[in-house]
Amino acid sequence: MTRTEFLLEMDEILGLPPGTLRGHEKLDELEHWDSTSLITFIALADCNNDTSVSPEEIVNCSTVGDLLRLAGAEATL
Amino acid sequence: MKLPTTVPDLLRNRQKLKRSLLEQDGLVPSRIAILGGSTTAEIKSMLELFLLASGIRPTFFESGYNRYSEDVLFENRNLWTFKPDVVFFHTTWQNISNFPELLERETEVERRASHEMVRFEALWEKVHIGLGALVIQNNFDLPRLRPLGNLEASRSFTRVNFLSRLNEEFGKFARNHHWFLINDIHYLCALVGLDNWFGRSYWYNFHMALSPTAIVALARNIATIVKAVYGKSKKCLILDLDNTLWGGVVGDDGVNNLVLGRDHPVGEAFLDFQKYLKGLQERGIILAVCSKNDPDTAKEGFSHPDSVLRIEDFGSFKANWNPKPQNIREIATELNIGLESIVFVDDNPAERALVSQAIPELAIPEVGSDVSLFAEILEREGYFEVHQIVQDDLDRANYYKANAQREATELTFSDYGSFLDSLQMRAEIAPFRSLYLERITQLINKTNQFNLTTRRYTSAEVETIARDPNYIALYGRLADKFGDNGLVSVLIGQIADDTLYVEAWLMSCRVIKREMELSMFDALVGQCQLRGVRRIIGVYVRSKKNSMVATHYPELGFQPTGESHEDRELWSFDIPLNNSPRSRHIERTEDQSPADAQSVPVPVTI
Repeated sequence: MTRTEFLLEMDEILGLPPGTLRGHEKLDELEHWDSTSLITFIALADCNNDTSVSPEEIVNCSTVGDLLRLAGAEATL
Repeated sequence: MKLPTTVPDLLRNRQKLKRSLLEQDGLVPSRIAILGGSTTAEIKSMLELFLLASGIRPTFFESGYNRYSEDVLFENRNLWTFKPDVVFFHTTWQNISNFPELLERETEVERRASHEMVRFEALWEKVHIGLGALVIQNNFDLPRLRPLGNLEASRSFTRVNFLSRLNEEFGKFARNHHWFLINDIHYLCALVGLDNWFGRSYWYNFHMALSPTAIVALARNIATIVKAVYGKSKKCLILDLDNTLWGGVVGDDGVNNLVLGRDHPVGEAFLDFQKYLKGLQERGIILAVCSKNDPDTAKEGFSHPDSVLRIEDFGSFKANWNPKPQNIREIATELNIGLESIVFVDDNPAERALVSQAIPELAIPEVGSDVSLFAEILEREGYFEVHQIVQDDLDRANYYKANAQREATELTFSDYGSFLDSLQMRAEIAPFRSLYLERITQLINKTNQFNLTTRRYTSAEVETIARDPNYIALYGRLADKFGDNGLVSVLIGQIADDTLYVEAWLMSCRVIKREMELSMFDALVGQCQLRGVRRIIGVYVRSKKNSMVATHYPELGFQPTGESHEDRELWSFDIPLNNSPRSRHIERTEDQSPADAQSVPVPVTI
């Protein structure tokens, strides 16, 4: 999954218009970043990238970009 | 609106889906309490989507983590104030703490099982009596691990065997208590697969007993049950013929060359699909045919020696060269059912698309062209879920045959009143009886057109009304010389001083224009006179589907009260001392069966 695809996926999970997130946003400032979206993120990381992400790793993330790196999404050129 | 079918699509789009689903018209509100033995936030979120997609707008109460027992036993104030319509107990095998010990004797295992049943039954009864809610309870899923390997299947002291025993007891309780329904996670965990059902990471990090994939299956299943309770299951399945009920084209290949039967793998798949459909028909789902074919040629297909289905299994048969949307509308009119109650199955994607565009209310599953998948696809959608089966359902096929005879007879009369007299109609109208409570509840929740208020009641509420002396609650059965239409009308009114307020009055479309409503009114007036009621207030709540009863009360001689507003009209009828019966063509018979005892009603279960 590319960076762009990941950000679009996060837009959908958080109920935001496509193209809203850029990667620098702080998680605790996002309205719908809660336990439900956290679990959705883990499930989708597992489905899309076959990447196992633990809640402890997520706790150490403070921005959307941190989640992107955790999920193993590659950077686009 | 159809939900995505894949778990990732559901997870990533749930916010957007929820917003779209909330915009639908006609959502039925329902108050649902989720009492969990593990984390339930994900379940609530996914269940909300599936309920909205089923036309139900839920409001939720969610218990604290693993407080399903305490919240009931100690009457959690928030739960009791919430007054749920439905209480869902989300427990799994993880909530059993009292498993038998290794090599424990059968008597001790039995004692443990009884102890668990006492514990659970106490919760269910308290919810039923204290809240009057319908109870939906998970049975038990299988643990992923089997410490004793295959011995778990046979030894009574093993976990798997113990859970099977409890599942059997849960099933027995459900058979004897119509307000109690099982959410069959024992089946679901097999369907999903144990490796997908339980997610170790989700359990250890969040104490979610089910993985997100399993939660989607669970939520879909619960929504299917709730949908059935609210009368939103489908009533009719309209089928194409060629390459849907048999392989080949009967008009081109001839009946002898149709692919149907055990001699051919595809033929066997068609045979099994026909058997599945026959099973639906036998329990009351109406089958109909809509086929582009010469009618006589189409019927020949059912003379194939391996055909399980026969012409008489179909309530309507349209084989012609008219456009399918036209035929389907005619079928709906003929059968007197709404288009939203119909499922259409056709192997041809172009026909499916055409019908879908012309009649968006129809349910049209994308069955593809592989007949071996047709039944699974129908089941996955839960179109025909039932929470009870009553004798009236089994008699439905006979109803359509008898009705064809009535319609043929009507053509021989020039005077409609003489036709009605010729039917020799007999009505049994009496206060609610325990014998009929399931059918009464079913009728209340399924009837839309002849329904003055479209007010829905759970089976628990119907049971309470039946016992409440402040209510006059009548059922009506109608039979004639062609057959028994079964229980076709319900009337519920609450007495306050010398006035009766009609809360519900509905009638099956089977008996429209037979003047059954006049007989019900005569019976109601009789009951009112016995109870000293002098005035009846009728309520008409306008809906999209009940315009046929907009003039019901004025036609009976009611006067407007002047208190009507928006979609709600109030009508008043002062009962005269010498009230003349309205019904002219129906003989009312006395109820011959023994009267109910004043105890908890025993439902008829099949």
